[in-house]
Amino acid sequence: MILISLGLSLLVVNDRMPDMQKEMDYVSNHEIELHDLANQIQKNVLDMETGMRGFALTGNEEYLEPYNNGSRSWLDNYNKLHSMLAGNVGQQHTLEEIKPLISSWIKNTGEYVIEQKKANNQAALNQHFAENKGKRVTDQIRTQFNTFLTAEKKLTAERMDRINRNNANFKITLYTIIFLISAMTLAVAVIMANSIVRTIRQVVNTIRSITDEKVDLSTRIEVKSQDETKELASAVNGLLSSLDKQSWVQKSLTEISTIYQGITDVTVLTQTFITKLAPMLEAAYGVVYLRRSHEGRIDFVPAASYAVADQEPASASFRLGEGLVGQCALDQRVFLIDKLPEDHIKVTTGLGMSSPRNLLIAPIVVEGRVEAVVEFAALQPFRSQHLTLLDTLQEKFGSAITSVQGRMEVERLLTESQVLTEELQAQSEELQAQSEELQMQQEQLRISNDYLEEQNQSAEKRAIELKKAKDELEDYSLKLQLSSQYKTDFLANMSHELRTPLNSILILSQMLVENNADMEMSEVEEYASVVYTAGGDLLRLIDDILDLSKIEAGKIEILTDEVNLTEIPQTMKNLFDPIAAQKNLTFEVLTEPDVPSVISTDGQRLQQILKNLLSNAFKFTERGSVTVQIGLAKPEHIQELPGLDGVEPVISISVIDTGIGIPFDKQEIIFDAFQQVDGTTNRQYGGTGLGLSICREFTHLLGGAIVVHSEPNKGSTFTIYIPSRQEESDHQPVDYSAFKEVASSLMVEQGSAAEEAAAPAPELTETVSSDDQLFRGKKVLLVDDDARNVFALVTALEKKGVTVQIAENGKRAIEVLQNQDDVDMVFMDIMMPVMGGYEAMEAIRYDLKLVNLPIIALTAKAMKGERNKCMEAGASDYIMKPLNINQLYSLMRVWLTEQVNPD
Amino acid sequence: MNHIMDRRIRAAVTTEAETFVPTELQEIEINLLLEGLYQMYGYDFRGYVRASLSRRILNRMKAERLPSITALLEKVLHDRAFLERLLNDLSIRMTEMFRDPSFFAAFRSQVVPLLRELPEIRIWHAGCATGEEAYSMAIVMLEEGLADKTTIYATDMNEKALSAAKNGAFPLKKMQQYTKNYLNAGGSKAFSEYYTTDHQYAYFHPVMDERLIFAQHNLVTDSSFNEFHVILCRNVLIYFDNDLQKKVHSLIHDSLADGGLIGLGSKESILFMPKGVQYEEFNPQERIYRRGQSSTALPR
Repeated sequence: MILISLGLSLLVVNDRMPDMQKEMDYVSNHEIELHDLANQIQKNVLDMETGMRGFALTGNEEYLEPYNNGSRSWLDNYNKLHSMLAGNVGQQHTLEEIKPLISSWIKNTGEYVIEQKKANNQAALNQHFAENKGKRVTDQIRTQFNTFLTAEKKLTAERMDRINRNNANFKITLYTIIFLISAMTLAVAVIMANSIVRTIRQVVNTIRSITDEKVDLSTRIEVKSQDETKELASAVNGLLSSLDKQSWVQKSLTEISTIYQGITDVTVLTQTFITKLAPMLEAAYGVVYLRRSHEGRIDFVPAASYAVADQEPASASFRLGEGLVGQCALDQRVFLIDKLPEDHIKVTTGLGMSSPRNLLIAPIVVEGRVEAVVEFAALQPFRSQHLTLLDTLQEKFGSAITSVQGRMEVERLLTESQVLTEELQAQSEELQAQSEELQMQQEQLRISNDYLEEQNQSAEKRAIELKKAKDELEDYSLKLQLSSQYKTDFLANMSHELRTPLNSILILSQMLVENNADMEMSEVEEYASVVYTAGGDLLRLIDDILDLSKIEAGKIEILTDEVNLTEIPQTMKNLFDPIAAQKNLTFEVLTEPDVPSVISTDGQRLQQILKNLLSNAFKFTERGSVTVQIGLAKPEHIQELPGLDGVEPVISISVIDTGIGIPFDKQEIIFDAFQQVDGTTNRQYGGTGLGLSICREFTHLLGGAIVVHSEPNKGSTFTIYIPSRQEESDHQPVDYSAFKEVASSLMVEQGSAAEEAAAPAPELTETVSSDDQLFRGKKVLLVDDDARNVFALVTALEKKGVTVQIAENGKRAIEVLQNQDDVDMVFMDIMMPVMGGYEAMEAIRYDLKLVNLPIIALTAKAMKGERNKCMEAGASDYIMKPLNINQLYSLMRVWLTEQVNPD
Repeated sequence: MNHIMDRRIRAAVTTEAETFVPTELQEIEINLLLEGLYQMYGYDFRGYVRASLSRRILNRMKAERLPSITALLEKVLHDRAFLERLLNDLSIRMTEMFRDPSFFAAFRSQVVPLLRELPEIRIWHAGCATGEEAYSMAIVMLEEGLADKTTIYATDMNEKALSAAKNGAFPLKKMQQYTKNYLNAGGSKAFSEYYTTDHQYAYFHPVMDERLIFAQHNLVTDSSFNEFHVILCRNVLIYFDNDLQKKVHSLIHDSLADGGLIGLGSKESILFMPKGVQYEEFNPQERIYRRGQSSTALPR
């Protein structure tokens, strides 16, 4: 500053010096030139005068030369002088007054004189000189010049005077400047010294105050100077702010660390954490993501948030490496992002929304594992102490999380265990209660023991009486059982015979109904033909049963008429010749000569009997012959037969075949309904098994009898004895009302089963996925010999994705089960050749020891005996034919579902 | 950690289940709790067998992390939702379909013939829990051809159990056992005819339709609501103490028609009945007893 003032004064001085010099130069030069010019003009005038006079005197032209010089140059000089006086109007004026004088002298005196001389007009010259006009003018000029010069001298003197004054002023100014500069320098020196001392004192004070621990780290030393003290101050300030940061971090750390205490829930912990931390970081937005590992996948899910509005995307979870949050967890490093785009997130307040521009994502790492990730967004940039705080915090926060999570896990396990305990107790509760009850009872029992003893004796007496009654009852019930046996067996068999064809009809027709869209024509035809065949079988069976039941209910009327016996052979021939030819058998009808040509009986029934016997004979005969013999019965035969008293003529008709024959012990039962020689279950020949029953009943109706003679593998002879009688038979029909009841109930059952089969069809098409799980890939062994049933069931099961293995009989089933241990379930038909269902089930349970394999018996018989046999043989459950598909599926769900331990 | 927990559970189970005896103070607190329950809500557990009741209360207390039974009482008085939980604990019972199959077999062969003679049959399942037995009975009556004239009233005090019962949905994973029971109980059809299934449950709902009625009834506090020909109250009374048993027996007796039958659980008996309750043995093996008859409501 002082330098600047000095420089300024120098500049002023420098500026003034040449000015003054110039002024001085100007004054001297101007004056000299002015005087020179004025003198020149005077000299010019003098020269002209002298020349004119010389010429006038001598007439010598030579004298004219100075004159001419003077008249040539005076005007130039005048003009020069005039222009030099440009600034001085007074002097110019004086000069201008001189000019006409000179001009008039030249004109009136100089020129005139010279002209006159040249003209040698001496008179004029003389006169002129006499008058002395010229002398006056020149005098006047001289006077004027004197005046001019005097005035000029005066001017010069004035100028000099002014210059002198200026010099004096200049000197004064110079002194003043010097004085001012000295004063200023002194003042500056004092101020600077003061400021340095004050700064240093402030620094000292501040440092002293820090050491005195009266810490207010936010105070800063104010520095106004620009020198080393400022550096000192700012160094101290730097130290202070670093201390401040450290203490802030320390303080925040302590503050946050205290919040962990007593928190047992990790959500509360994270929420408290972020609520506390976000304001510290001046963040306007914050989320904590917690590590969750689920089925081997690690996710970071938001656990707590700060100022996050609901619709914001902070609710999303991140996989490891997914997004910045996931990447942060994967790399275990902090992401600090500024200049976020404006639409990244919005901080919402009641007044509006703003977009934070800074984002901070940091992992919380504990023992090398990322337990959580925190994300903050702020309107201002994050500062270094924020990062330091986060860094310092992460270990503590992380371990707080793990410890709280651990505690929560322990609590969860504890709760679980308590629930478990409770369940256990609920189960043992009853046992305990029961045993307590028992104990109590025991005591009370003892008290009442005496009383009971008394009663006991009288009871004994009664017991004996009771025993008697009981024995009687048992006898009675035995009789009842026997009498109902036939009924039961009949119903059982009939039920089976009806249900087997019905089963395939129902299943296949249901499939046709449901499935026509994606079925191929050949399949449809196949289904239809199976249905058709089964229907035919059913119809035949129903006809037979109706006949039989009509007979037994006494509903069949016998129309006794004249029957021409001679017509019979031809009728039979017509009927059976084609079959004989087809099977390559000899067929003969022989009539003995003593046979009457006409007898009195029911011809239609007689024909029916013969037809039945003959179709049986053809069925069981593979080679040889079938012969019909018609003759009169021998008296000894007649006597053996009940109901024939030998009064009327008795016709005997024998049907003789060379077929498989009937063992002696079976010869009685073949006449029972549904019975064939080779047993009840394993049948190789078709037929209803009703033919012989009908024959027997008809012959009884006709008052006759039927006898069989047979040897296995040789042939059989069925002989009917028909009396010729006029009056109607007094046949007493058996009471079959019970049968009717059962039959009607069967009808009802079947009706409802059919309804059920039809109704829930839509259910089949919508398969629940978990239902699918239950069925798909399961393996079912289907044991059934009836191709129609197998076909229908396989179609139904495969639709559910079940693999079906087929065995045509029990023996095959056992082989399959021996070789394959992945069968989930067995469907077992009962009536099969080679090995039936009961035998097979027993073998599976006892020989193969497959105790837990679900075996579902497929039974056609709704009878209780059948059911018990199934259970005894080891069936798990059973289902009746005809099968309802939905019932079948329901049952499969039950038996494919894993069970809780029942005990 | 797991094995530590295991040990803890085992320790807890053994100590609590076998040797738990409430202290005198706890006895007082339990009394207060039961009294509070009764006065506030009318649920009367005061006559229940104390040992099992105490265990259940203490379990609930621990599950809720409550410091004392008194705290539990406070919670139950002010928190309706908690009441439901506690009630469920206290009235939880095990049941299954055709439980004790021989009982149902005997019912079929011996009781049903008597019922057949009646113009109308009313059966009461007192304490039906989740309804398994009521559905079993419905099936028996259906198979015996008596469904049309039978009404089955199934009651329980536990609302949660009742609503489960109304659904008639039983888990598939118990169905094999139920099938076995059904067959052993003399079921005459294929069990699968009575239910439809999905992948989780077997649904019995349509078995009896409106003839199977579920209603809330508290044996301890409610009175008789009809006269029945058969009352089944199996494995219910074992939870009651002597006095309460007598009281309930009176209620049952009063609700039975002359000659009506009562079926009890396999460990329950009719010894030591209160005054005026008189039963004859009908099938003591299966705990079926018959009310002494003055007139002939049911045939001999």
